[in-house]
Amino acid sequence: MREILKLSITLAVVGLVSAALLSGVNNVTAPIIAERQESEYREALERYFPDFERFESQQIDNDYFDLIFDSSDRLVGVMATVGQQGYDGTIWYNLAFDGEGKIVGVRIISHTETPGIGDIIATAEFQEQFIGKSFADPLIPGEDVDIVTGATISTAAVITSIRRVVNVVAENFLGYETLVIDLSALPDGIYQGSAPGMVGLITVEVEVAGGRITRIDVLDHSETPTYFIESYPLIPELIIAGQSFDIDTKTGATLSAKGIVDAVQAALAANVGGE
Amino acid sequence: MKHKPSYWQEFTKGILKENPVLVALLGMCPVLGVTAFVVNGVGMGLAAAAVLIASNLVVSLLRNLIPPQVRIPCFIVVIATFVTIIEMVLEAFLPVLYEALGVFVPLIVVNCVILGRAEAFASKNKPLRAVLDGVGSGIGFTLALLLLSLVREIIGQGTILGPDPETVIHLFGADFEPMILFAQPAGAFIALGLLLAVVNSVYKRFNIK
Repeated sequence: MREILKLSITLAVVGLVSAALLSGVNNVTAPIIAERQESEYREALERYFPDFERFESQQIDNDYFDLIFDSSDRLVGVMATVGQQGYDGTIWYNLAFDGEGKIVGVRIISHTETPGIGDIIATAEFQEQFIGKSFADPLIPGEDVDIVTGATISTAAVITSIRRVVNVVAENFLGYETLVIDLSALPDGIYQGSAPGMVGLITVEVEVAGGRITRIDVLDHSETPTYFIESYPLIPELIIAGQSFDIDTKTGATLSAKGIVDAVQAALAANVGGE
Repeated sequence: MKHKPSYWQEFTKGILKENPVLVALLGMCPVLGVTAFVVNGVGMGLAAAAVLIASNLVVSLLRNLIPPQVRIPCFIVVIATFVTIIEMVLEAFLPVLYEALGVFVPLIVVNCVILGRAEAFASKNKPLRAVLDGVGSGIGFTLALLLLSLVREIIGQGTILGPDPETVIHLFGADFEPMILFAQPAGAFIALGLLLAVVNSVYKRFNIK
């Protein structure tokens, strides 16, 4: 008993001293680190937005946005701070948008991707491909942006999250409206459309009869099969059952599920008002 | 009674005779992981050396207080504390080095050179000897990382003092096609193997044992 006590007390004391030391050092270094990150962020703001005068902060879901105004109170851009799960841990980065929703800068704040492999996301070569892209671009790996072989998960994580944020910014801050599809105005017929999933394009065929969606088939996709079965045929069934695109896509394969919904919308959108 | 080695021997043995990397083959993870560039290799070596010296001192001071059954967890906590302190200090005061080493700094905790010296030496010797041993082994560790990263950066990148574009020197002109293999982890093993062969033959030649 005495022996056990001695062992536990030794361990507890060592642990306590260590914790005290660490919190002491952290008290000194944390403000310095925070101040530097703050000033680096400021510098980035001034670099991306030369007219920068003041900003307003907003949070949508898990993304943070600073709306940038110039001296005459005009919205000149948006700075997004995004945290995205990469291969190992969260990748935090800034995306700077100009007033038209075009990306003017990508800036990795912190990441813990594999050194020498996934850390390619922090290189200028990888980031430059996004400059000038906007919500009007597909932002699809292999089409207008490249994932990097060997670092597929890290690079795809950045690309898919950029695609999401680009649309969030365009819809919420820059007044580009979300697509509204009026099913009853659609002529009967079979429509095809594509949208990006997790890996590549998902192409669907949608049959509309009497103002209702009656059938959705996925014609082509390159999603990971083991994940894709989580959202297909479930997601099409949900769309048909509810005759709505407002469905819960948080499955085990959220990006694939969302890709299917987007593809169906894309198929129908091309024909809205096209009578 | 066994003759105690002199302080000078305590200091020098870790540099060549018992070099933690080139002779004992300890701490292979950072040795292979961060040696693609000289700057990173030397930075890692110095950071590990700082932890090694500090933990050797503390472990030696505590050697009569810690019961033998729980010595390993205590050593690990001591080492982890110093590593975390170094990480925070680097991030606050040397952000450039922190950026280059960032993800590797926490790995120092499991660098077996440090635990090895704590267990095999510091826990059995007086503080002065432990510190000298730490300084020597730290220099030896840094030296080995410097050698390996020199070979790897010159062959694998064709540069020196990279990857920072402000300090990088391209050694062979623009047309040089570097041997990428040596920048990769597999190349690290190959380079280390070749380096060990060279070091062994040099040791034999000059009779360092």
